[in-house]
Amino acid sequence: MAETQIMVRRNLPGTKYEEWCNWPDETFEEMDSTLAVQQYIQQSIRKDIQNVENILTPPESQDEGVWKYEHLRQFCMELNGLAVKLQVENECNPETCTQMTATEQWIFLCAAHKTPKECPAIDYTRHTLDGAACLLNSNKYFPSRVSIKESSVAKLGSVCRRVYRIFSHAYFHHRSLFDEFENETALCKRFTLFVTKYNLMSKDNLIVPILEDQQEGANESEA
Amino acid sequence: MDGSSGAGGAGRGRGGLPKLRELLRRQRRDSETNSESPDLEFIYDDADKYNLEISELYSYTEESEFYQNRKCFEEYLERITKQKWTDLNEAARKMHILRLLDTIEVSNRQARMEAVRSLLYLLQGFFGECDHEEDQAYWCRYHVFLLYTCGAFQALIELLNMEMENGLAASVALRKPAVSLADSTDLRVILNALYIMIETMRIDDENDSDEKKQLQTNFKLELGQPVSGEDPLAIVLFNMVTKFCSGSAPHFPMKKVLLVLWKSVLTSLGGLDEVHDMKNKKRADENLPPLTENTHAVCRHMRAASPPASAADLIEQQLPKRNYRGNNNKKGLVKQSSMEDPFESMDDEITREIEASKEGSEDDPIQPPSPRPETPRPETPPIPTSKGLPWIPKVRQKDLELFLEHTRAKFVGLTIRGDLNSMAGLPQPIHEGVKVLKQHLYTSLAEIQIKREEEISRNPLSMPETNVPVTPAEILYQAMLPNLPQYMIALLKILLAAAPTSKAKTDSINILADVLPEEMPTTVLQSMKLGIDVNRHKEVIVKAISGLLLLLLKHFKLNHIYQFEYMSQHLVFANCIPLVLKFFNQNIMSYVGAKNNIPLLDFPVCVIGDQPELTAESLEAGDDLQFCWRNLFSCINLLRILNKLTKWKHSRTMMLVVFKSAPILKRSLKVKHAMMQLYVLKLLKMQTKYLGRQWRKSNMKTMSAIYQKVRHRLNDDWAYGNDMDARPWDFQAEECALRSCVERFNNRRYATNGTDPEFKPVDNCITSVLGQHMDLPQEFKENYERWVEREVYSTQIDWDQLLKH
Repeated sequence: MAETQIMVRRNLPGTKYEEWCNWPDETFEEMDSTLAVQQYIQQSIRKDIQNVENILTPPESQDEGVWKYEHLRQFCMELNGLAVKLQVENECNPETCTQMTATEQWIFLCAAHKTPKECPAIDYTRHTLDGAACLLNSNKYFPSRVSIKESSVAKLGSVCRRVYRIFSHAYFHHRSLFDEFENETALCKRFTLFVTKYNLMSKDNLIVPILEDQQEGANESEA
Repeated sequence: MDGSSGAGGAGRGRGGLPKLRELLRRQRRDSETNSESPDLEFIYDDADKYNLEISELYSYTEESEFYQNRKCFEEYLERITKQKWTDLNEAARKMHILRLLDTIEVSNRQARMEAVRSLLYLLQGFFGECDHEEDQAYWCRYHVFLLYTCGAFQALIELLNMEMENGLAASVALRKPAVSLADSTDLRVILNALYIMIETMRIDDENDSDEKKQLQTNFKLELGQPVSGEDPLAIVLFNMVTKFCSGSAPHFPMKKVLLVLWKSVLTSLGGLDEVHDMKNKKRADENLPPLTENTHAVCRHMRAASPPASAADLIEQQLPKRNYRGNNNKKGLVKQSSMEDPFESMDDEITREIEASKEGSEDDPIQPPSPRPETPRPETPPIPTSKGLPWIPKVRQKDLELFLEHTRAKFVGLTIRGDLNSMAGLPQPIHEGVKVLKQHLYTSLAEIQIKREEEISRNPLSMPETNVPVTPAEILYQAMLPNLPQYMIALLKILLAAAPTSKAKTDSINILADVLPEEMPTTVLQSMKLGIDVNRHKEVIVKAISGLLLLLLKHFKLNHIYQFEYMSQHLVFANCIPLVLKFFNQNIMSYVGAKNNIPLLDFPVCVIGDQPELTAESLEAGDDLQFCWRNLFSCINLLRILNKLTKWKHSRTMMLVVFKSAPILKRSLKVKHAMMQLYVLKLLKMQTKYLGRQWRKSNMKTMSAIYQKVRHRLNDDWAYGNDMDARPWDFQAEECALRSCVERFNNRRYATNGTDPEFKPVDNCITSVLGQHMDLPQEFKENYERWVEREVYSTQIDWDQLLKH
């Protein structure tokens, strides 16, 4: 009986920590749900979170728009981990980080408000993640997760730009926290590679030196 | 009869023969110049040529800002790379655009605006490095697509949203005694960029690759969709217009807002050809035959009628024996323009009327013998296109029913409702008449929609509305619905302020804030320039509003007749009809021929190559057009709007009569353009019945132009009828009936998610009713015992009685 039982890939209430997501891998072709792409991405993350190139390699004949969309979704979900870390023990609070800055060059406006304003960094982080979640789950722009309108794909760029500022703030103002998070997840590395691969951001806006060639560039400029 | 009246005329003229000759000579000269002046070679279209549409975006006072944009761009690029923009590859250019997009979100205003200006410079075609206009156009189009793929359009709209809410700019502008160009700098930069992107994307280019075409389609789709929030771009702009009109944001650059609004609606909803195709498609869906004629194609082949320019011409061309009549015709006709009855010389006029009607209505093959053959008869211009009428006659279902009802009542003596086929007892000519009527029977989409609406309201449960197709027009209507009346009022308010006849002092709103420089000109040349600029500015505003209103009316009419009725009713309530008439109550010839352009200062000419010194002569150089495209375009738009509002609406037609539109409209016939004349004639046709016999008989030429140019409605006695349509009219009743239909439609479709609350199931379960949460005021909660005491315990309730009901 046990052999014929259908494998339910779901974490039911009461699942133990050891059992969490403890199911065998599937090939992409076997995944037949509408959320196959998400499932596939999460599966490759679980396999090896540090192997960012593998995670970002789409299965063959995968629609690029959906691929980008699902990845951005995943980034936003995981970024909540960083946001939580920032808030623990008041590491980043409105008194210490009054504005959203990375290097001292620019202060950024928080686009979550009708009249964008200069929110403190932690608020900016929360608002941006909320806004991104709203947009990515919006029925209007992304009614389907199987095919995505070209016009909606265009909206991903601005989400990326805003989300990246969270990384850069953490890197330049809460370095130890950032390193701890990055060691666990390699999220910034993955994100940097992602936006470079799909030309979603300009290289010199990627100010966190996380990839090898970026570090070289940083060393050169220091020298 | 001919002879007697001719003799009478001659007898009267005998008195001052030299005077008469002189008069004749003058008349002939008039008529010659008239018939010689060619038709205006104006082809009506969605908009003017691309480069002209772009140049109208800028006022001449903005010239210095072009260089500012260039400077921003070059400085910014220099900071990043030593390479020139032309040497960068596409990926590097994209990177730079993304960099700029990142910068437009910084909070430092100056840094932000420098980035936007850099983007604008790219959109303006990177003109600093161009030697020719073609280069500039090429770069412009290239950059529009490049920026769009980088997501710049969305970013710009977000920026517009933000800048619009900028309370500081508004409060600064409100405190100033005179708002000027400088107050709207940031907004203008953003609007310029948006306008260039929209207008460039609207135009198809045959050289475009498939990829670009795909992008273009996406763009059009995206334009109708909501941006960063709930509203599509058009609504954001509409809100800017109402905000401006309410006086809380006097610094909004209205011309640019209106231009972007008009073009965004035009691009997302589609222009003339699209409307025609969509209409045929919709008709096919309803199993109706397609339209065979395209209004614009037919108009293009029509010739303009020689206008009834002066009273003398009018008669001269109608009557071959004008040499006898010149004198007293003149007398009779001076009066005709004011629609009073000149009771003197009544007999004369009547005889003339009969003659005129003979000749005016058709080409009468029998020419009345002319006593003086040597006088040349003014030739009617040869009609190059097909002989016969330009339009296929139409018959409404209602007309046919009415006809049958009348004849049956007459011959059979009974009425059979809703039967269009049984012909028993009717004589042969009636059979034939019905056959012809049926041949030309035309069912409009509106009639089908109205019928369906009636069915739905009669059977709300068994015949619910099937899925409403989500067209761009439907999305726009839904978004406009909550504030549509305010939008209409605001647009008309600005239209009034921009009309050439309105006085600057009476304006409650100042629409010139975005032309006037901070410092007023000191030299004559400068003030001449500014004068032209101001007039041009107003003309462009009229053009944008008239284009926008017509476009909305056309699309809503196609989408659903009651959407159209809702909008038009609010236009009527906001006094659109007298406003348009007031607009035409000016020297329309000079408006159409106005030359408020300085070609040397038009973009991109003003930024490419060496700039010559501006002199009084060069202000006018290079403009030898016989008409002003935008003004003729606005005139036709306004006439069409008036037509749309009044067609088949008795009460509104009577408004045309009450506001004495006939002489105003008649003067507009002087513009020699077939399409413009057609719409004037249509307006005259619908009110002819009510203008009185006197008007008709002294305007025979106009009457025959109507006959010749306007579509015939069989059985419609528009010219001489005195039937029950002349009944005393009750404006209120008619409009109220329409209003209730529109309201029912809006309520049904948009208020309660499609179902009437009356027909929703009622909750009878006592626990669920009592379990519902009720919001009770705190005071009540604290004192409810007293309420129970007073309302329940102390009053006697006969429960048996209550349950019985």
